Amino acid sequence: MTATKHTQATPTPLEPSSSALERAGIPIPKFLRLNHVLGAGFFALVWFFAASYADYSQVMMLTIIYAIIGASLVIVFGLAGQLTLGHTIFVATGAFLSANITAAWGRGLETEIPIVFIVTLGAGLIVGLPSLRVNELYLALATFAIAFVGVQLLFEWKSFTSGGTGKPAGTLSFFGHEFERGVTLVRISLVVIVIVFWLVGNLIDGRTGRAMNALRTSETAAKSVGLPVPWLKVLAFGLGGAFAGVAGVLYIQSIRRAIPENFGVNFSIIVILTLIIGGSHRLSGAVVGAIFVRWLPELVRDVQEYEGIIYGGALIILTLFSPTGLVGLFENSFKRLKNIIRPSPPLDLERVEGLALSSPHLSDLAGGEKRGRLVVESATVAFGGVRAVDDVSFEIQPGAITGLIGSNGAGKTTCFNAITGHVSGAGGRFVLDGKDITGMPIHQRALSGMGRTFQNLNLHGDMTVLDHALLGLDRELGYSRFSEFFRFPWVLKAERSAHYRAAELLDHMGLLAHWNDKVEDLPYGLQKRVDVVRAMATNPSILLLDEPAAGLPTAEAAEMMEHVRAFAEFSGAGLLVIEHNVELVADVCERVIVMDAGGILADGSATEVMADERVIAAYLGT
Amino acid sequence: MWSGLIQGFAYSLVALGLVLVFKTARILNFAAGTMAGFGGFLAYWFAVEKGVPWGVAVFLSLFLSGVGTALIERLTIRPLIPKGFLPIVVMTLGVEVVLANWSIEWWGGTAKSFPVPGNIDRTNWELGGVRFNAWHLVIAVTTFATLAIVGYIVNRTELGLAMRAFAEDQEAAKLMGIKESTVSQVTWVLSALVGSLTGILYAPVIFLQPDYMNIIFIKGFVAAILGGFTSLSGGVFGGLLLGELEAFAIKYSPREFAAALPVVIVFIILLVRPLGLFTRTKSHERV
Repeated sequence: MTATKHTQATPTPLEPSSSALERAGIPIPKFLRLNHVLGAGFFALVWFFAASYADYSQVMMLTIIYAIIGASLVIVFGLAGQLTLGHTIFVATGAFLSANITAAWGRGLETEIPIVFIVTLGAGLIVGLPSLRVNELYLALATFAIAFVGVQLLFEWKSFTSGGTGKPAGTLSFFGHEFERGVTLVRISLVVIVIVFWLVGNLIDGRTGRAMNALRTSETAAKSVGLPVPWLKVLAFGLGGAFAGVAGVLYIQSIRRAIPENFGVNFSIIVILTLIIGGSHRLSGAVVGAIFVRWLPELVRDVQEYEGIIYGGALIILTLFSPTGLVGLFENSFKRLKNIIRPSPPLDLERVEGLALSSPHLSDLAGGEKRGRLVVESATVAFGGVRAVDDVSFEIQPGAITGLIGSNGAGKTTCFNAITGHVSGAGGRFVLDGKDITGMPIHQRALSGMGRTFQNLNLHGDMTVLDHALLGLDRELGYSRFSEFFRFPWVLKAERSAHYRAAELLDHMGLLAHWNDKVEDLPYGLQKRVDVVRAMATNPSILLLDEPAAGLPTAEAAEMMEHVRAFAEFSGAGLLVIEHNVELVADVCERVIVMDAGGILADGSATEVMADERVIAAYLGT
Repeated sequence: MWSGLIQGFAYSLVALGLVLVFKTARILNFAAGTMAGFGGFLAYWFAVEKGVPWGVAVFLSLFLSGVGTALIERLTIRPLIPKGFLPIVVMTLGVEVVLANWSIEWWGGTAKSFPVPGNIDRTNWELGGVRFNAWHLVIAVTTFATLAIVGYIVNRTELGLAMRAFAEDQEAAKLMGIKESTVSQVTWVLSALVGSLTGILYAPVIFLQPDYMNIIFIKGFVAAILGGFTSLSGGVFGGLLLGELEAFAIKYSPREFAAALPVVIVFIILLVRPLGLFTRTKSHERV
């Protein structure tokens, strides 16, 4: 098959035995995936049966249109997690725009689709703007209002939509060739849906899909590895709008005449419901949902009257018992069945000390100059009247391992948040390796070399361990979001080398055997490591660890810290560690800063500060 | 002025119901409009089709709305509480679709008029040179009474205290021994009662159609946004303000603009003052 051809195009640059990726059997990204083959097979099947079942052309059309809208919603809702209830406004824009283009210029699909794509992309970006200011709940509300009023607007905007009488579809043509509707329209739509699914599928597989997945589960964490969360959210709306617009072009061809009422709130609700029934986490969910919703009333005539009640009921039952929809239900049953028939033994991978760090995949990190000179000048954070951090200044030398200790409420985490930008309105000045990062948003500070972990484990629950490492490596991928759409060779090449590197990092942290586990299924100790490895993957200049050992048995904590320390030494990065386990701090840190009541109480070597009377007083009371 | 106010009352009541649920449970109920409409249809069904006396029909409708909502809350909403708000919002969409289609099944899709006792909606009174429609006066009085009652429950009773504690900090409230399930149920039922009452009050004003409450419900949303969505009085003021703004826009601006007004408001508010016009504090996210 062609898959092998493409793998050979980019030879792997190393011998297999040395790579953690191959030891763990992690598949490397290839040009063709199983999904592509399945999709192509389905496409061929429908293509051939379209002619024999011409009576069903209309249902097939609607199924395809719903599936395309579903795919656009996978981006907005499934990936980015933004519940939009006004999505059909883009479908309407696409439909009416295409009718107007044919009417005005006499052009066909070749002009309509690109123009609609660009216009609805722009419209989507604008609709996505509120997502920057408000959370998903408010956004659902805003889009709901847009849907409601959008219909009224379309109705009033008579020059564009002809108001209540509606606008007829133009002739179906492509570069001047006119086509009959019916079966031909189904086949044209099939081609469109294959292209759309290929593009959206590539997006899901690439860095953008991964990043959007991450921001859905934790925006805070996504920002902390340097992902431009606001832009990604708006982009999700833009792309979602654009593909929905394309569906609109097909929709008006299919219903011949579009009236504003076609695009009301109910349509918007039905399309999102369709996707959720199918499974919003997968592209195949869009197809399964569309088939369920469009074919059920067709095949079982008796239920036609109760369509809405059945869809709503299906949604209610699935939300309760299988939140990942029909596809998720199938996936889970399949997984369970497979475990019963042939349980796969856990990966048995011996971690060899120092092996990962000597791997060629991490060699460009090695022996770098010491980095991470952090200057904090009179940092101040006030919550109401409480000064959680009060005029704190310190300087950390490149490559140093520094501990930050203090009793609960001393302001340690707030101090971290001020440094990384996770608390807004922090006063003071922060300089990292000579670069002033004061006032930068979180993700830019992260891109400037700031890495951090979280006290309360800000992980992306339904993503795998490997994905977490890849998230950290996002900045190294280097390919543009545009080239990602087309799965260009350099996209795959970058993805592959990121996979190799991610595997080595997992190996170093002793996570390799769990690379394919969802982090929410992992025990607490391993989750802590995932948090660390995600930050590590960003190759930070300084890594801020917020209570890495909290809740871990001492031996496990010491082991993990040893690995982190080894990596920091290897890459030249500095470490700043908040910890309550004083022994651990004394073990690892060359210097310890003690905070109390928002200020610095003591600063010096571990033995020095432990002997300090004020520190003893703060810890033990007087 | 007066007509704007009458619209405003409806928006205020809907906003009140929405804010109640949002404030305590951090949930947006997308089925609120349909639930309210269902209440209106029930009252119509008892009063017109079954010939039950008007007052009894209203009581039965409210009673069934309350019981039905308690059931919906218990069966569909509460199991999802630990999973966060997005599944719950999706669930309310499912409830919306089922209820909306059920009411079409039951009552058909045609518009129905719902006469009020003594046809007082056709009588006009004059008071100090201003003409009042008698039913509008009933709406105004009922609105104020409802606001007073809800205000009393939330601010003066033990149950209200629990609700407010929950709104302030769910974790802390749970640690203090407040039962999440009780608060959730009470909030939902209370908001459904307010909704059904609105549905009944406005059924005589606008014809009963399957989705007749949806447009009022959307405007109620906008009103709640104007008021910051976490403040009961903010929602009420937002409703009155929106009613007036709309009456003004319809009178003095092109139709397109009047139609787009709510969305324009939502957009501006969300972009400029996401916490509404009447809220000042900003909450901090802890990481």
